[in-house]
Amino acid sequence: MTMPDRLDVTWIALIGLALATILLPPLMPRPLLGNAVLLALAVIKGRRIALDFMDLRAVPALWRGLVSAWIVILLLFAWLASAVAALI
Amino acid sequence: MSAADCEQQGTGWGILEDLPGDPMIWVLIFSELVAFGLFLGTFVVARAIHPAMFAAGQATLNSTLAGLNTLVLVTSGWAAARATKAARAREPRTTRRWLLIAMALGGFFIAIKLAEYAEEIGRGVGLETSPFFTLYFLLTGFHLLHVGLGIVILAVVCRRAEVSGVETGAAFWHMVDLVWIAMFPILYLVR
Repeated sequence: MTMPDRLDVTWIALIGLALATILLPPLMPRPLLGNAVLLALAVIKGRRIALDFMDLRAVPALWRGLVSAWIVILLLFAWLASAVAALI
Repeated sequence: MSAADCEQQGTGWGILEDLPGDPMIWVLIFSELVAFGLFLGTFVVARAIHPAMFAAGQATLNSTLAGLNTLVLVTSGWAAARATKAARAREPRTTRRWLLIAMALGGFFIAIKLAEYAEEIGRGVGLETSPFFTLYFLLTGFHLLHVGLGIVILAVVCRRAEVSGVETGAAFWHMVDLVWIAMFPILYLVR
């Protein structure tokens, strides 16, 4: 039996994070905190996909930065918009 | 500049040559990320303007099926990444096997999404039910088209199973996966 490599570890981590994303919402009655947790989980998943599946770990930082910025800015914007709507 | 000079300096794609696969696929990937980013941003702004309407629409969605689709797509992405690793090791049979798994799981994603649509349409929900459902169907439908296109690309590169082709197809497939990872919480879970 072969030892799991980085790809296997990333897949297991993604499955765990996806299950947490599915199971957590009913346990988090406060939307602001709940949204922050769900979107943070999505950022972690996105980073793992970009670095290990898309193979951006070994390429120049510019490319890693662009893909990471896409997921961080989009999900941060989603959280800020939901926070503003909740506070108004 | 002579042809020999061009050859010495690479294929002419500059810094895009550092990325795995054909540089042209990365031009497409970055264009798609911009398009999906703007589209999802529009959804986020519309929800902030009409929170009650969007909450009512979201409450009728089947987040369990969408969650299942997340598990299916990340597993498919893992299979595509394993195919890339096998292609780099010059193992065409193993490469094809992993690509077939990735494509089969992509087909399963489409089947689950169509079942979800059938359930929604069966309840009388459609594109014109509300702005929420207009954006929901357009966003998920646009993504679903990319899943279908991704399967076609993986099928094309599966035939020869050589490194550059598999890296190119897998890069597109991971982009489709990445977009879903952002889309799932924004559409189904964020309140």
